[in-house]
Amino acid sequence: MSHEGLAEGIVAHHFSSLERQNEAMRLGMWLFLATEILLFAGLFCGYAVYRFQFPLAFAECSRHLDLTAGTVNTIVLITSSFTVALSIHFARTDQRRAAVVCLALTILFALGFLGIKAIEYTAHFHERALPGKYYAFEEVKIPGAAMFYTLYFLMTGLHGLHVVVGMSVLTWLLWRTNQGRYSSRYYTGLELGGLYWHLVDLVWIFLYPLLYLI
Amino acid sequence: MGESGPSGRASGALHPDDGHAEHGHSAIPYVVVWIALLIFTALTYLTGKEHLGAWALFIALAIACVKSALVALIFMHLKDSSGMTRLVFGTSLVFVAVLLFFTVGDVATRFRPATPAGAPFGTERAQPEGLLEHELPE
Repeated sequence: MSHEGLAEGIVAHHFSSLERQNEAMRLGMWLFLATEILLFAGLFCGYAVYRFQFPLAFAECSRHLDLTAGTVNTIVLITSSFTVALSIHFARTDQRRAAVVCLALTILFALGFLGIKAIEYTAHFHERALPGKYYAFEEVKIPGAAMFYTLYFLMTGLHGLHVVVGMSVLTWLLWRTNQGRYSSRYYTGLELGGLYWHLVDLVWIFLYPLLYLI
Repeated sequence: MGESGPSGRASGALHPDDGHAEHGHSAIPYVVVWIALLIFTALTYLTGKEHLGAWALFIALAIACVKSALVALIFMHLKDSSGMTRLVFGTSLVFVAVLLFFTVGDVATRFRPATPAGAPFGTERAQPEGLLEHELPE
């Protein structure tokens, strides 16, 4: 067993104190999150352009999406954001078991989200509601409909990729939390993983009304 | 200045008193935000289903902005963060606004030959909302 729980092992030699290191870690994470926000902003921008040009097609296609699945997924992600916030709270108040349980719940919610998304994707493939030239959806045959599905798959696909990455990070953090590496003394690593997961939630908060409720 | 001394460094790294201070940390704000987020989601769902025409997008985005503000401030601790992290987050939002404003501004002020085939233009744009209700299968 290593003694990483001790301050000597946590603070890198080039930081004068743990506070300084924590602040540098947070700042670095927020800089990364800023680039993530701008990455998604590019897709939202493309969405804005095509929704402006094809309002009818976007409204029609949106009403062919599974609104119940989208709403349930919104609730699942919001709740997972809540459980990850709780796990950090439990870690910093030295309640290790509760922190581990909350992280496990978050990962289960993430799996649930991906499961529901997979069911939706399967339906799109059966209806051939696919991006670009593969679009052959019988129920909506107006200009711009293929563009809606192109953006739908790009935006939910990139978001889904982030869910998978976030889930992997949370699994690793679950492992480390269970080892007792995060406590009132040090929890910044866990906090940063939580920040990433909240970003996944933030993006979905905008995707939900823009895709499912036009 | 006292923090740069060897004793200051040691207490900064270990800060043994902080452990007790952390026990005062409350989870109640998280519960309140979670419930608020669920209520706002219900609000998005109910207003979105009504298809309120020109107001629909504005209402949906306004609710989404309130929801993300709650997540960023409470769940992501931006409320208690340093000015530096807030500045980074704020700057990214400014650039998102610049990107969207000029791109949509460009598309909205084009003349007909610059719009894609099949896209409604000018007065045709006012029609889709009414037209849509007739064409819907339900």
